[in-house]
Amino acid sequence: MLARLRLLLLTFWLGCLTAPTVQAVTVVIVSSERSPAYAQAADTLVRELERTGWSRHDMLQLTAAELAGAGVLTPKLFVALGAQAANALALAPLTTPVLCALLPRSSFERVLRSSGRKASSQFSALYLDQPLSRQLGLIQLALPEARRIGVLWGPESKTQAPTLRALAQARGLSLLEADVGQGELLFPGLKAALEGADVLLALADPQVFNSSSIQNVLLTSFRAGVPLVAFSPAYVRAGALLALHVTPEQIGQQAALIAGGVLQGKTLSATPLYSQDFSVDVNEHVARSLGLRLDAAVLRTLLRQREAAP
Amino acid sequence: MLAPTLRLLGALICQLGSLGLAIAQTPEPVSVSAANATALSETDFLTEMPLVLSVSRLPQRLDETPGAVTIIDRDMIRLSGARDVADLLRLVPGFQTSTSFETGAPLASYHGSFDAYSARMQVLVDGRSVYSPYLFGGTATGLQSVAMADIERIEVLRGSNSAAYGARAMLGVINIVTRHTVDTLGRQAAVTTGENGIRDAQASIGWGQDGATFRLGLDRRGDDGLSGSNGHNLINRVNLRADLRASARDEVGLRAGGLTIDSGEGYVGKPDNPPHDRSFGAGYAQLDWRRSLGADEDMALSLSHTQESLRNSFAYSLLSYKNQVAAYPDGGNAALIQFKNLVAGIDDSIDIDTSGRASSSTLSLQHTLRHSSALRVVLGGELRREEVVSRALYNTDAVLRTDYTRLFGNAEWRFADNALLNAGGMYENNNVRGDNFSPRLMVNWHVAQGQTLRFGVSKAYRSNSTFEQFADARYTSNGVLLKVTALASGAVQPESLLVREFGYLGDFPWLRAGLDVRVFHERIAGFVRGRKSVLPAGTTLLASAPWDYVNDEDFTIKGFEYQLKWRPWRDAQFIFNQTYTNINSIDTGTVLPAPEVASSLTYLQKLPGGVDLSLMHQDSGPVVLTGSSGSHLAMTRTDLRLALPVQFGATRGEVALVVQNLGSPYLDFDQLFRFQRRAFVTLRLEN
Repeated sequence: MLARLRLLLLTFWLGCLTAPTVQAVTVVIVSSERSPAYAQAADTLVRELERTGWSRHDMLQLTAAELAGAGVLTPKLFVALGAQAANALALAPLTTPVLCALLPRSSFERVLRSSGRKASSQFSALYLDQPLSRQLGLIQLALPEARRIGVLWGPESKTQAPTLRALAQARGLSLLEADVGQGELLFPGLKAALEGADVLLALADPQVFNSSSIQNVLLTSFRAGVPLVAFSPAYVRAGALLALHVTPEQIGQQAALIAGGVLQGKTLSATPLYSQDFSVDVNEHVARSLGLRLDAAVLRTLLRQREAAP
Repeated sequence: MLAPTLRLLGALICQLGSLGLAIAQTPEPVSVSAANATALSETDFLTEMPLVLSVSRLPQRLDETPGAVTIIDRDMIRLSGARDVADLLRLVPGFQTSTSFETGAPLASYHGSFDAYSARMQVLVDGRSVYSPYLFGGTATGLQSVAMADIERIEVLRGSNSAAYGARAMLGVINIVTRHTVDTLGRQAAVTTGENGIRDAQASIGWGQDGATFRLGLDRRGDDGLSGSNGHNLINRVNLRADLRASARDEVGLRAGGLTIDSGEGYVGKPDNPPHDRSFGAGYAQLDWRRSLGADEDMALSLSHTQESLRNSFAYSLLSYKNQVAAYPDGGNAALIQFKNLVAGIDDSIDIDTSGRASSSTLSLQHTLRHSSALRVVLGGELRREEVVSRALYNTDAVLRTDYTRLFGNAEWRFADNALLNAGGMYENNNVRGDNFSPRLMVNWHVAQGQTLRFGVSKAYRSNSTFEQFADARYTSNGVLLKVTALASGAVQPESLLVREFGYLGDFPWLRAGLDVRVFHERIAGFVRGRKSVLPAGTTLLASAPWDYVNDEDFTIKGFEYQLKWRPWRDAQFIFNQTYTNINSIDTGTVLPAPEVASSLTYLQKLPGGVDLSLMHQDSGPVVLTGSSGSHLAMTRTDLRLALPVQFGATRGEVALVVQNLGSPYLDFDQLFRFQRRAFVTLRLEN
């Protein structure tokens, strides 16, 4: 399937080299790079649009680096996959609506700041990170006895602090917060956030959570008997108890739904959206070691039901 | 003797600084363009992470371990007010402890103090077996290996488990896990002072960053010991630990350190054991390397070397004997005259010296594989060499060497959703006594949520100590053989232990209580016992009845023990332990190495203002500690601890008052030794 699509695109691009530079496509998908996650999101998007009657020929896939040399494009919608792609489209003088997907909220906000744009029906987003309310909802479902949530704020994630505090308070939860400033060591903050915590909620911030620090975060929290709830399945494989995340396929699906609407004449939501669908991953070995029985599928279903409830 | 080890330690410390720097600068092989960038992007959500909690890192739950396990965590250690691990083990069901340093260091034993050095137990410190080859395989000095402040938790296996912990894991396993260096960055110090000459001090410093962290700790534990004893006991320790992440898959741990135990022993009026000083020293280095081979598989390699030495000597006065013989009328009897001349020719006093040294080196490799979520298999092997040199104990300057080869394996099979089978075994060969096999089978059945039954059977062997096999201790003076105190025939074989046990673990969340019960039937076969033998008349100048070691009777230790933990209200915890033990030995000396009934009650309460209150009461029936005077000793002791948190800027800590034995003095180890009330104050600070 993928091979066929690539062949088609290759043929198309080869055609473009000799043909006039104006391309008659309806949707242009611009990915930050060509790695599997972007390809999975793009493939799902293409497949879903195909399923609703659009032709594969109506869609063009590019990387952000290829965008400049792609000539004049006049589609009805641009879909950016990733922050770099979103930035490239933000800086281009486009009149076509742009949906930025597969990027976290703070990346989108950075793109807005650097390009001087505002979120609007011309330039909106479908976030990769998960809403804080959903994350608290998952904690309450999986660990109903957890009351004190440890949080490590980094320079990027800190902007969410007021929202999380309000949400936690509304749910009867308390936060044990600690800051890890630019260039600061992780340990003092980690120690403070773990002391007395029932669970450690990891919110993406490269200053705090990265492949170098994860060893210490996981070992320290595990020794303290505090499970880690993270934001990607990679953390679950590494040893986090749970992760709430959206897969590239799920992003592709929802992006297709939004794109389909735009193609039918609807406008983009001026307010950026969080993904409707999501996934829950559980490390069953860690769960067992902590004396917990958790079923990822059941947790996801329950969380969806709770969100659907009025 | 310790000089080479200390030199090695110094060199290691110097090396580690630069190694740590080098490793910290090594780029991670995982491709993570965003990992070190400051801006968040989707990469943070999509990047692979190194596997941290690998298959061998994840411990079994307490209701799935193949045996009864009591965990003493860091909080409990702090709240107990105990100054060493042996004293802490009082709080574990089935344990007997003494605070006496008479045989080197405070003793702890499980289900019976059958020997003066507690050699039937296994003690591990971060995986390194710390029994003393020199002190007859004893574990008392090993229990003192690390500072209390450096301990993360102590896992006490109440029972036998040679399949997992090696050949000495007969009656109890103490697994001491030290704190990870990541958790001890910064500075920490504590001082303790109080009655009975208590003067303890401890300081540690932790440094490093992601991927390379270190801790260097120094401490001392000193007091005047039991009243009535020649106690003036001082332990000095230094310990270094480094944890290095060499790559996304590899972790390296380095440990090195040493300790000295200087203590007083002996009795006024006992010429063969007068008051005198002894000094035990040990130094070690350990290297651990763990490689993750995937989500479900890893390998661990461990290499360690330990050296130890004992300096112990005193003057044994023969003057009164000589005067007595000289005064004896010979009546012209030629033989008698010759005897009197012989006696007149020996020194008035001889130096009894039991000094010597020993070492052990171990190389082990372990492979852990999770075949599926239902089956986890551990396989491994170990090579160990022990060397003992002591003219005093073995009448030779030769190195007495014992080489061990061990192969072990365990399969943890979840054969039903609510049941787990642990099947394992260890094969051991040593060059002195051949081979043996220790199997174990244990089933854990979760009959309902929070309710687990455990039953199983295991067998363990204890390799004979070098002393049991080769002892040859003699006193001489000017070429005259005065006395032989120990002479091993070498016929002794490893003793074995067959354990049948039943356990129950109950969790009652609605009562905020938990119950842990163990019913045991432990059959010792060929119990190794010292037997006095008789030498032919005239072999020695003085009458000699040297100790030999033989495989004596078979006997059974049976009974049950339980621990009830209850949190009746906020910030409070009660822990009630009780053990009933029956030992059906026919030997009068082995009838009461454990009390028939022992109980303890601990009450921990967090009070307003962060004040911690601990009250611990212990009541043990009469016991005869082997190696002591043979007195029946019972014990009733109540300890109180009150601690107040303190803060000076960024420096936090606590001040604690501990009163050990609020009641009247009790006898400990000997009819002459008393544990009197001791109050002391500790100030602990860290930043």
